[in-house]
Amino acid sequence: QYNPEPPPPRTHFTNVEAYESEEIRKFRHLFVQLAGDDMEVSATELRNILNKVLSRHQDLKTDGFSLDTCRSMVAVMDTDTNGKLGFEEFKYLWNNIKKWQCVYKRYDTNQSGTLGRAQLPAALRAAGFQLNEQFCQVIVRRYASEDGSMDFNSFISCLVRLDSMFRAFKSLDSNGNGQIKMTLEDWLQLTMYS
Amino acid sequence: MMPFGGIAARLQRDRLRAEGVGEHHNAVKYLNQDYETLKQDCIESGTLFRDPQFPAGPTALGFKELGPHSSKTRGVEWKRPSELVDDPQFIVGGATRTDICQGALGDCWLLAAIGSLTLNEELLHRVVPHGQSFQEDYAGIFHFQIWQFGEWVDVVVDDLLPTKDGELLFVHSAECTEFWSALLEKAYAKLNGCYESLSGGSTTEGFEDFTGGVAEMYDLKRAPRNMGHIIRKALERGSLLGCSIDITSAFDMEAVTFKKLVKGHAYSVTAFKDVNYRGQQEQLIRIRNPWGQVEWTGAWSDGMSFRDFMREFSRLEICNLTPDALTKDELSRWHTQVFEGTWRRGSTAGGCRNNPATFWINPQFKIKLLEEDDDPGDDEVACSFLVALMQKHRRRERRVGGDMHTIGFAVYEVPEEAQGSQNVHLKKDFFLRNQSRARSETFINLREVSNQIRLPPGEYIVVPSTFEPHKEADFILRVFTEKQSDTAELDEEISADLADEEEITEDDIEDGFKNMFQQLAGEDMEISVFELKTILNRVIARHKDLKTDGFSLDSCRNMVNLMDKDGSARLGLVEFQILWNKIRSWLTIFRQYDLDKSGTMSSYEMRMALESAGFKLNNKLHQVVVARYADAEMGVDFDNFVCCLVKLEAMFRFFHSMDRDGTGTAVMNLAEWLLLTMCG
Repeated sequence: QYNPEPPPPRTHFTNVEAYESEEIRKFRHLFVQLAGDDMEVSATELRNILNKVLSRHQDLKTDGFSLDTCRSMVAVMDTDTNGKLGFEEFKYLWNNIKKWQCVYKRYDTNQSGTLGRAQLPAALRAAGFQLNEQFCQVIVRRYASEDGSMDFNSFISCLVRLDSMFRAFKSLDSNGNGQIKMTLEDWLQLTMYS
Repeated sequence: MMPFGGIAARLQRDRLRAEGVGEHHNAVKYLNQDYETLKQDCIESGTLFRDPQFPAGPTALGFKELGPHSSKTRGVEWKRPSELVDDPQFIVGGATRTDICQGALGDCWLLAAIGSLTLNEELLHRVVPHGQSFQEDYAGIFHFQIWQFGEWVDVVVDDLLPTKDGELLFVHSAECTEFWSALLEKAYAKLNGCYESLSGGSTTEGFEDFTGGVAEMYDLKRAPRNMGHIIRKALERGSLLGCSIDITSAFDMEAVTFKKLVKGHAYSVTAFKDVNYRGQQEQLIRIRNPWGQVEWTGAWSDGMSFRDFMREFSRLEICNLTPDALTKDELSRWHTQVFEGTWRRGSTAGGCRNNPATFWINPQFKIKLLEEDDDPGDDEVACSFLVALMQKHRRRERRVGGDMHTIGFAVYEVPEEAQGSQNVHLKKDFFLRNQSRARSETFINLREVSNQIRLPPGEYIVVPSTFEPHKEADFILRVFTEKQSDTAELDEEISADLADEEEITEDDIEDGFKNMFQQLAGEDMEISVFELKTILNRVIARHKDLKTDGFSLDSCRNMVNLMDKDGSARLGLVEFQILWNKIRSWLTIFRQYDLDKSGTMSSYEMRMALESAGFKLNNKLHQVVVARYADAEMGVDFDNFVCCLVKLEAMFRFFHSMDRDGTGTAVMNLAEWLLLTMCG
């Protein structure tokens, strides 16, 4: 149904600087500014940067990313439960957001700034998620506003979560039989931190 | 080395660990690099390996004194051994102890550890796998196995080594043509980030990373009464022993005493014997100089009397090996247990006992000592055990200005009412009323603190902590006991005391409530997420004592999803009444545990509050809750408190519905998984 991009190759944490392109170098510069001394991005820092970027895109309709949404986005990517994202995790999130922003604009055919109910399934497919109709409806009910349209922040928070949940399932289904098995503790950790 | 991506990645890693990945014969491939594959690729393409993960360049050297553009690294060239000597060798004649010389880096501790390794062929070849050479199938690639925080890691390196004026910059071999030690140093530097992060350390750190053992250190000038006994026992267990004479100034380094002992130099202790000499009992100890020359020339010369030993030497380090490293049958063994844990701000980073308000939140581990030691010469009823607490990955933090935390531990006797139980996390009151029975000698900013402890049989808990609260780190706690014992993390059993869903009908609902609902819901008598947000925030605004930035749309969506029984994504009157009743009871709990009436609850109070709401969680889950719901000041405000409880309750119920038979595990397919996680 969905093949998430393979996680970034695990790179040695010092080698990054040696090989990186000009683009990544600029990105690292941004990251250092954002992350401060601890070199990690908290949910508040994430919200500030996302909303700052959004303010430059007047064509995207949004009521801004809430702190809760950002906490949830950090949570689904954070492995060591310190509530923050490191460089690689942040880069992965950032690239996805950029990619999905393009999809969003492409499917906002009437330039309303939101995605209408009719465009959503195609937009989700274009973002790489092959979902059946029933599940699409579930998503709309959960993430769209009352008229079935979805604004930019809902779209992004939905896709970040979808991507993470697909990846989580894959990594837990290590023998690939399409089923995962978990204890109460596993389940609560996975769902409470999301 | 955490794999990428959320809690699932951590669970996957834990599962692999449980299957034995990380044991010596099944080492974790560092950064997923597989030696055989990479080597084969190079051979087939006729190239020499260049490690893309640790490129030979300035960042591999260091970040400050050895940083890019520093004076010390000027003129450094990376060369392969064949560019340095005519006929490079990997190991000459089975690696002898005279092999290794220190380079320009302050890592003599590592050198001493590599040196001791050469005294034990078997241990050496666990670290330096057989079958590597510059002749047969040479492809510029080598690998080593190093123990890191509880698991064995296989590290691949290329053989480009930093040189200056044609000489190796760092560790090199006295035999100029032999390169295994320089390559091992490179692998170790790769693990720790760069060469510079290796500067400064203790030999025991190296000992442990090459053996997986656990080290103890003794100051011989203040040695315990039974020092001889401890040494004898350690030798019987096949432990590695190193001793040295402290230097008082740099001038002293490697000065030779008049009896030919070299100061500041690591010796190995290889035997301890009682001999009968002219009717007198005499204790003899044998020491060896890894240099192979310059040996003690005093009385008994080959052996040294134990009294002289205690007088001449100032420090003894013992590295106790774990059973997997000991193959000889005649050796007696420690029983070993390893636990992983974490300190996180706001949930489990409680600091030491000086912080009574938070000390109790630290992870707690129980040891049950069943049998006393067999010790004919000892009439005390006591069990010996060794506790070693090691913080993880702190060397790496140096490049971003971090370093080791100050760490230590305390040991308490388990109170009678909690004996025999695994599922109790001892609370604040216990630590206010009870003294510790033992503790680490100091709190110290080393990677590891370890102490041998003797206590009567019984149940004890070990509380590892950083000195100050709120310091985050991961750690492993290892407990070595002489006799079989039980050890386990002392933690709450996860449970929820969930009342049956309330049976309410419309008739039970007060008219006032009904009217309010009607006003909001309009004709359809159902409220949407948006209406829920309005109503909740209106009500909350009336409670001036609650600090909240209001319920967000997302939080309201969560509530609707969790309460909505008919799939309409709206709440009817009854559903809303049930939600409302819950919120009211949680409000009471919130007020009760907001002790300082700040309007938010500290994350420490959160633990108690959740318990009072019927949820018992363990440390890991408390960490998760704090990471998700507490703000930067470690406070949980009312809307987050409610969201957390709504979600907890729903997740417990989901799990129970999937685990109908009560087996403790639930199985689900992708569709079920997505449905539950995307909508929860």
